[in-house]
Amino acid sequence: MGVPAFFRWLSRKYASIIVHCVEEKGKECNGVRIPVDTTKPNPNEVEFDNLYLDMNGIIHPCTHPEDKPAPKNEDEMMVAIFEYIDRLFNIVRPRRVLYMAIDGVAPRAKMNQQRSRRFRASKEGVELAEEKGRMREEIIQKGGYLPPEEIKERFDSNCITPGTEFMDNLAQCLRYYVADRLSNDPGWKNVVVFLSDASVPGEGEHKIMDFIRRQRAQPNHDPNTHHCLCGADADLIMLGLATHEPNFTIIREEFKPNKPRPCALCGQMGHEIKDCQGVAREKKGQHDEFADTVPVSEQEFIFIRLCVLREYLARELTMASLPFPFDFERSVDDWVFMCFFVGNDFLPHLPSLEIREGAIDRLVNIYKDVVHKTGGYLTQNGYVDLERVEMIMQAVGVAEDNIFRKRKEDDENFKRRNKEKRRRMKAEQQGPAYLTTGQFAPQALGRRDRPEAVHNARHQAYDMRMQHNKDAAQSLKAMMKNGGNSSAGPSNSTESRGVKRKAEDSDSEPEPEDNVRLWEEGWKQRYYKTKFDVDVTDEDFRRKVVKSYVEGLCWVLRYYYQGCASWKWYFPFHYAPFASDFKDIKGMFTDFEKETKPFKPLEQLMGVFPAASGNFLPPTWRNLMSSPDSSIIDFYPDDFAIDLNGKKYAWQGVALLPFVDERRLRAALAEVYPDLTTEEVKRNSLGSDVLFLSKAHPLFDFIHELYRAESNEDTEIPAELCHGIQGVLQLDDDPILPDKTVTSPIPMLRDISQNSSIGVKFKDPQYADGFVFKAVLLAGAKLPSKVLKPGDWEKGNREPWRPQLGFNRNRQQAHLDQSGFRALGHSMNRNQRGGGQYSNAPPPGNYHQGNYRPQHSGGHQPFQHSRQNSLLGAPPSFHQPQFPRQQQQQQQQQQYRSGGHGWDRAMQSQQLAYQLNRDRGGEGSGGYQQRYDQRRDDWHDRRDNRGQQHRSYSDDRGYPPPPPSRRYQWNSK
Amino acid sequence: MAGERSGEDIVSEYLGQNPQLAEWVDTFRTYCESNKQWVARREFILRNMEAFPTVEPGVPSSSLDRLLSLSMVWANHVFLGCSYPQAVMDKISEMGEGIVVEDVPVHKTMKEIMARGKRSATAESDADSCAKRAKLGPNELDGRPAGRTNARPVTQKSGPLPQAPAEHQPFFNRLYKAVAWKLVSAGGFGPNLDHFEILRSCVESCKQTLTCVFVPLKDITGLPAGRTQKEGHVCEIRCQTVYLGTGYGRDESAAKAMASKEALKVFQGRKVTVKICRRRYKGKDVEDLMLLDEQPRSQGFPPALSYPFQDEQLEDGSS
Repeated sequence: MGVPAFFRWLSRKYASIIVHCVEEKGKECNGVRIPVDTTKPNPNEVEFDNLYLDMNGIIHPCTHPEDKPAPKNEDEMMVAIFEYIDRLFNIVRPRRVLYMAIDGVAPRAKMNQQRSRRFRASKEGVELAEEKGRMREEIIQKGGYLPPEEIKERFDSNCITPGTEFMDNLAQCLRYYVADRLSNDPGWKNVVVFLSDASVPGEGEHKIMDFIRRQRAQPNHDPNTHHCLCGADADLIMLGLATHEPNFTIIREEFKPNKPRPCALCGQMGHEIKDCQGVAREKKGQHDEFADTVPVSEQEFIFIRLCVLREYLARELTMASLPFPFDFERSVDDWVFMCFFVGNDFLPHLPSLEIREGAIDRLVNIYKDVVHKTGGYLTQNGYVDLERVEMIMQAVGVAEDNIFRKRKEDDENFKRRNKEKRRRMKAEQQGPAYLTTGQFAPQALGRRDRPEAVHNARHQAYDMRMQHNKDAAQSLKAMMKNGGNSSAGPSNSTESRGVKRKAEDSDSEPEPEDNVRLWEEGWKQRYYKTKFDVDVTDEDFRRKVVKSYVEGLCWVLRYYYQGCASWKWYFPFHYAPFASDFKDIKGMFTDFEKETKPFKPLEQLMGVFPAASGNFLPPTWRNLMSSPDSSIIDFYPDDFAIDLNGKKYAWQGVALLPFVDERRLRAALAEVYPDLTTEEVKRNSLGSDVLFLSKAHPLFDFIHELYRAESNEDTEIPAELCHGIQGVLQLDDDPILPDKTVTSPIPMLRDISQNSSIGVKFKDPQYADGFVFKAVLLAGAKLPSKVLKPGDWEKGNREPWRPQLGFNRNRQQAHLDQSGFRALGHSMNRNQRGGGQYSNAPPPGNYHQGNYRPQHSGGHQPFQHSRQNSLLGAPPSFHQPQFPRQQQQQQQQQQYRSGGHGWDRAMQSQQLAYQLNRDRGGEGSGGYQQRYDQRRDDWHDRRDNRGQQHRSYSDDRGYPPPPPSRRYQWNSK
Repeated sequence: MAGERSGEDIVSEYLGQNPQLAEWVDTFRTYCESNKQWVARREFILRNMEAFPTVEPGVPSSSLDRLLSLSMVWANHVFLGCSYPQAVMDKISEMGEGIVVEDVPVHKTMKEIMARGKRSATAESDADSCAKRAKLGPNELDGRPAGRTNARPVTQKSGPLPQAPAEHQPFFNRLYKAVAWKLVSAGGFGPNLDHFEILRSCVESCKQTLTCVFVPLKDITGLPAGRTQKEGHVCEIRCQTVYLGTGYGRDESAAKAMASKEALKVFQGRKVTVKICRRRYKGKDVEDLMLLDEQPRSQGFPPALSYPFQDEQLEDGSS
């Protein structure tokens, strides 16, 4: 689920699931970098067994980073990827398994989304280049200066798709990388490395899930394996929950919105392309020594602890007095299923369910109501009970009308408040309503012409008074003449009444028109008419849409719990039906077509690429994308419509792309298959996972022996040699063998002459057709200790609750002693001279211990508010008032953190707003500011942050900010 | 071929007589197609089957796939708002001639939305793009909504709409600025410029295209005697159906260059204005949209070589 809103919602509601990573940095000594010894205990005070990398989340930021200069060529990209993996390895320090999965060919259901992304990316790239060209010309004509245009080719991120040469190279480079680390890094000595490159079908994260699922279904699996999965997608959380492994943690980059980005034209910070003036570059540093550095801090990582999420869910989902025994594991599965209604990569979300409007809370409430009537759970092991789902859907359907109306209301309120705020801001800038004139007129200080001494003051005062009276009289007359509805009297004072009011919305962007108007009577009819171009009376068509959607829900759940049920299935519409349309769905789905096969890599390229990315394909294949005589030309429009669908920006809208007809695609490709070169044939074939390990590993000799014996049969891994991991081994055609030099694919890196690693093909354990993977806790699994504050803690009359911040309850807190605080205060005072009114403000009521951690480089600690927000474990004010000295220190600390920007204040109001929302419960409250957030900081958001600066400016000045503007601060960190 | 009765009636009648064919054709319906979309596409397929002689009912073949593909191109263009490379568009607009689709959905393309989001969407450009999509009438020649021409109401009178000059004026104001800047950077207007290139790049920077019509000189009737040369070509340039200029040359490119030069001359004045003027076309007086400068004209306009506001009546009358 690429839905960033989901993660944001989750991390706010269940704040304690997030733990900051502690990262030990390599030291430098006399210019030599000393690598971190990862054999040492993990500084996060937890030991992980397995680390899984969803590589596409690594490849993208390494090849076209948003916050630093892009790598110059492919080699630099590879090195960046290596360094990124090193960094993760250092943080997580897996002790048993490192699994790297690159996206392979995806199921058809996913292809439509990929297609839409790639068509958009290509189109946006062209538009951006055009815009750049135009701006460039304009600026140069105006006499501005721009650095010469870069000659280097634009990196087409579309090449990060299985089947391209780039992906092939990447696989080669990763093999080299693994061999190198296994041979040279002691931390890797006992780790088994799996590499599943793009030639193995399946999305990266799902290949990982398949591995976990298939391991845990075999008897040798260690039920207390601690898994750590790296990736930013929100659906990893779902996947992790779906495994029912008790120790599952996700690691991802911390999301910091509003990061500054350089202008695409001149490369300077501080403005966007449309505001580029082409002024000469400022010198960075005294001698321009920081010319190429971008002033952003390094991306930090956070852990998401799914066991804590499970604790939260247990509190939320546990129901008493059910007609059947309550099973927490089953209710988690139902929760995961309901999250799919709100958004997933394979289906458009239901129009009435928006995460930002509290859709999941609403669903959970409905679920708890309905489950009494359903007589059981919605799902089991990834199979859906449609009858029960229908009851949920009908309950949502009843509320649909109200949801749409409320959405509109909220939206209007939001706009109104915004407008009022703007007006207020303007009024503030306009200055006072009355100014003295003549010799009493205010004078700027420090000007050369000093005001002269006042003479004849009485007369002047009289004049001013009379002038004012005259004006008033005149405007009164005018008002009476005009029937009292205008104040357009002639007035030369600075009063605003003479100024003609401009059209209200002159400064706001025009709203996209919305023909559906879901908030008005007849919305269903209009929706079907505008979105599907059918009448609402066309019952058959509506049923078709619903049927496809039902199939989709079944497919998605099965995909998460059992693996890909059908490579062929996809949702063949651009929009979802309404919840109220889900009637009589019980018989709508039986099973999926069996024995479907994934596309070959090059076939998939033909399915997802626009004609503009045809250069990744052989010439005759490419030709099919543009020739009028091609029998599949309809798949490749060169421009297409975007339906904003109530959203504001093009990238949020629905791309109305035609769907690919698989039969015609295959038929057309059959004719050009003979044109492939041997190299391309190789790239087009399906590959296999590869397992690597070093000489020190107990399994090493076993594998080495296989190579020596040249046994070409499949061989099972002896479970006792490899922590209970099972699977089938097969000899690699071009293996990495010990004492055989591994040549470096990257010129700047050396060959490995002293290789001590070995590689062999690996296949996950196989199960019989129709085998069902059980979604249960395994026998022998020990649940990790609780983190949240028990609900009856106070009753127990024990010591005050101490919240847990890291993985370990008994973690050593770092403390600064007094001299440390003095030093800190000293330097802070120096930097903070005149740093806003908050530098003198008392600290906020509750102070959180342990927020200050010296391991961290910056004083900037997002998620520090997690304690405050945590709704279940909300700690009482922690500090003891009898230590005034300490309090003072805390005060300083607070100042340090708040940095004079009023953030601390924002934090408090956040909490307030949050609790307000909570109190209002599942009514979809808190809609606007959250929706607004979404608009601001979605993943590839292109916003200007001037608004943000503006707001903090006004906060500094101590103007009482209006309620909404405080709330924006919510995620300003 | 284009009957007065709606095409749908004829098609269903025809299929009623050929049940086997009907059954076969129905296998091409995609799951997500609504009745309306399918009926229209079916008509497209049936009408164009003759043009693909190798297509045999009931037999899969690559030429059948090509026909299906083009039918999808046509349907995607009409119903989804997709556009394809020019060659493909030309082909389907020809093949789709005569198929009437009522109530065609209106879509915004990526380009239009991006344009709206980026620049401070002035009312001017907005109105412009709306007019572009909504009014299919006078815009066929700019090549964009080619396939949809069939949806145009047939009742429209011959000639440009009275509000057309006002609708086009904002665009030409922008074009005027673009040309002015371009000429400045090229060192001013003069004989040694590539006039067509300048005009083209300016028009394209304003997100439009030029339409050039070429006619051999010998095909033009009514020229003054003595000036009838047998050799040579005449070129007429329009943009958004508005006439810009005419030129004569030995070959087509020379004619085009001359026409562009004439067009650029109009831009030498202090402003340009779109007006409806009367001029000759195929021996008749017609009303045409012209781009003019402020100077009073001493002589009349050259006869038009194309007429984008034509409907059936006029065509019937002239042929």
